Amino acid sequence: MNTIRRERYLESYEERSEIFRTALLRATLAFGTGFILLPLMIVAIYSFSEVAYGIFPPPGFSTKWYAHLFAQATFRGAFFRSVGIGISATTIALLVGFPTSLALARTRLAAGNFLRAFILSPIVIPKIVLGVGWFIFFARISLIGGWIPLILAHTVIVLPFVVAILTANLSGLDPTIEEAAQDLGAGFVKVLWYVILPQIKSGVIISALLAFIVSFDQVESSIFLVRGENNTLPIEMFLYMEKWQDPTIAALSTLLIGFAAVITCATVAISRGIDLSNLLPTLGGKKSTR
Amino acid sequence: MRIQGLLAVWFLAPALGIMTIFYLIPLGVYLLNGFHLFQSGKIVPIWTLRTFGSFFQDPFSYRVIGTSLSLSTVVTLLDVALGYPIAYALHTRVKSPGIRALIGLLLFSPLLVSVVVRTYGWFILLANQGLINALLKNAGIISQPLPLLFNTWGVIISLAHILLPFSIFPIYSIMTRMDPTLKEAARDLGANWWKAFTQITLPLTMPGVITAILICFTLALSAFVTPQLLGGGRIQVLPLTVYNNTVEINWPTGAVAGFTLLLLSITAIWIINAILRRLPSI
Repeated sequence: MNTIRRERYLESYEERSEIFRTALLRATLAFGTGFILLPLMIVAIYSFSEVAYGIFPPPGFSTKWYAHLFAQATFRGAFFRSVGIGISATTIALLVGFPTSLALARTRLAAGNFLRAFILSPIVIPKIVLGVGWFIFFARISLIGGWIPLILAHTVIVLPFVVAILTANLSGLDPTIEEAAQDLGAGFVKVLWYVILPQIKSGVIISALLAFIVSFDQVESSIFLVRGENNTLPIEMFLYMEKWQDPTIAALSTLLIGFAAVITCATVAISRGIDLSNLLPTLGGKKSTR
Repeated sequence: MRIQGLLAVWFLAPALGIMTIFYLIPLGVYLLNGFHLFQSGKIVPIWTLRTFGSFFQDPFSYRVIGTSLSLSTVVTLLDVALGYPIAYALHTRVKSPGIRALIGLLLFSPLLVSVVVRTYGWFILLANQGLINALLKNAGIISQPLPLLFNTWGVIISLAHILLPFSIFPIYSIMTRMDPTLKEAARDLGANWWKAFTQITLPLTMPGVITAILICFTLALSAFVTPQLLGGGRIQVLPLTVYNNTVEINWPTGAVAGFTLLLLSITAIWIINAILRRLPSI
């Protein structure tokens, strides 16, 4: 009799603690999500603040910071420059990164692991070190100013992301499909175009998106490569923030959050849903093989 | 399709060319500056170890290195302590795959927005009359606003926020690849939740935790925008030393500081990778 009661007590204890754990874990998840989104939400709220200083809640609302923002041509120019540099660097990185990934994924080179580590290494090298290195290097060959050094620097920075994602995608492909195509008479180019590329389409799109975003976010790697007249947007914002902290930056940030949301949604629409596991190789995980 | 021999070389050539000319050479040229001398506002191009000597004799250098290492350690610990339960909750306590994907996207979304924007968000949140101080005041915890800006606290909080997704995703990734039957078997054999968690889930997800530590630590060590904007000049970390010296045209000292930063990063990666290799992988 006693043991049954004891067992029932233990069972209900387990049940109660499971409910408690679930509640606690869900609360942690809610808190974590809130914590992660908080700075972005507060920026959007402050962009409509009536006053220039940080006070919560804002005493009143207005759209004057947006008017102030649009009156400044420097931000507009910097935005288009950043977009142009981002698209150029992403395109070069894809063109160069695809054959690289194909070779890394499909050869048994003795130096394969070493080459892969070398190409991926810019991810972990402090960006400020690279930035000063490029400054000295491009100054030596008299190429400071303009877009070219920025595009080349950003290509080196985004190439590892493209190679990491594409290599993971290519390694996961079933080689028998390619062999079947070759047995049926398809040549090298045809296999690439009709067999390999369609299978890694999602990886190509997401690596392009990531490459563009990473390029768009460069500050310390590029700060010595700009000369005022060719500032990129994050650098323009960084320099503005060092001097002023009024909500003009909040208005611009809100537009940028919207811009990020739009390109992400567009990417999702184009690829009909993103396989987020594609991002894992660059975030230090492994792409799930399922 | 195998790619062999000459074809593989041709496929690798463009990337290796770009990486050699625009990565290896600039890095080398930069680090070589550390072997020059900076005297009376000019770089003296002689080969010497004196810049290294004076950098490592200056107690200020050790303070900067200490700040860099302790800041990165605190941020990394915070992120793993927060990231693990978040990843675990997302994996085990959200049943619908759609909602799981949505929350995953929300957790990832700050990475889509410039680090300058995120740092600016914390600038507003941590101000004397900002949301954090207003909440604490309303809750009656404090009467005077806590100084959170332009000191270590602000930098730690916002850096932990910026790097949190990098801790959640590797841990979440390894949880999704864990065999769920192992945990069930442990429960069936009478292990309670705590025992199953500490003896099955935690050890098997350790590689994810170590990877999270690796990414958070190296990124925190090389963070520049956040300490510069939120530290208000009072937080001196190695990337800022590199920046300030370069601005003052003192390339040799900047190169020595950069070399130190690079060495610390590589050492951290090397140690953490060695730990990772010793763990069983799933």
